[in-house]
Amino acid sequence: MPQLVPFFFVNQVVFAFVVLTVLIYALSKYILPRFVRLFISRIYINKL
Amino acid sequence: MRHFNFVLSPLDQFEIRDLFSINANLLGNIHLSLTNIGLYLSIGLFLALSYSLLATNNNKIIPNSWSISQESIYATVHSIVINQLNPTKGQLYFPFIYALFIFILVNNLIGLVPYSFASTSHFILTFSMSFTIVLGATFLGFQKHGLKFFSLFVPSGCPLALLPLLVLIEFISYLSRNVSLGLRLAANILSGHMLLSILSGFTYNIMTSGILFFFIGLVPLAFIIAFSGLELAIAFIQAQVFIVLACSYIKDGLDLH
Repeated sequence: MPQLVPFFFVNQVVFAFVVLTVLIYALSKYILPRFVRLFISRIYINKL
Repeated sequence: MRHFNFVLSPLDQFEIRDLFSINANLLGNIHLSLTNIGLYLSIGLFLALSYSLLATNNNKIIPNSWSISQESIYATVHSIVINQLNPTKGQLYFPFIYALFIFILVNNLIGLVPYSFASTSHFILTFSMSFTIVLGATFLGFQKHGLKFFSLFVPSGCPLALLPLLVLIEFISYLSRNVSLGLRLAANILSGHMLLSILSGFTYNIMTSGILFFFIGLVPLAFIIAFSGLELAIAFIQAQVFIVLACSYIKDGLDLH
């Protein structure tokens, strides 16, 4: 079973954590705040 | 007509291959390599970010189809965080949960493309995520509640005589969360891909055997198409299940019982 070959374990884990960290940073810094701003502006348009 | 009969194991598709590597005496002779799983994880990152870029829709209030799809993912994950975690304190963990969902979903979907690579079928990758989440939730529990965190292992209203046994059972179930969370995702993706691979090899052999067998082979082909649809659903469901359970584990650390 290729999943149990330990030679590339460190490689997999390093890649997974680097990709996940970049994704969390980009989402929380740039993408998700944009959603909040968008939803707030929609609420203002509806209320005004 | 020549037939090339070679038997490929259905597990061959999960083999990690070194695409290129640096074997120089650098940084203590460290083996730096780009493997196929690294490449596909990077492609997944690129796709997730470019999808988000497409969905920005130049900051227009009225959404286009890309932003509608991303807003529905946002609403789904947000409702999970609100319901499973905490309506007020849980918002802090929303970006992490959202990133986790996108990461798992994109990698599950990339795995469904024929001749690509299913990164989430690798136990080490999923275990590393699940162990980190449960360990992080445990640290969070200790940070918030100190030694009172151990009350998580004591079910409310249990008789004193049964307490040692119940605490032991609760402790084992707490430890098994680590394994079950990662194992569920990897095992589902692994079994689905193996099933499709075995069925397609079977169908190929039937359909290339003769003109009559070509039409008989349409039956297993219909099954393959049906299972592909099932796999598509599993890709979404497993990403959702992973984040629902991650939320409930973080909630245990935050609120105890």
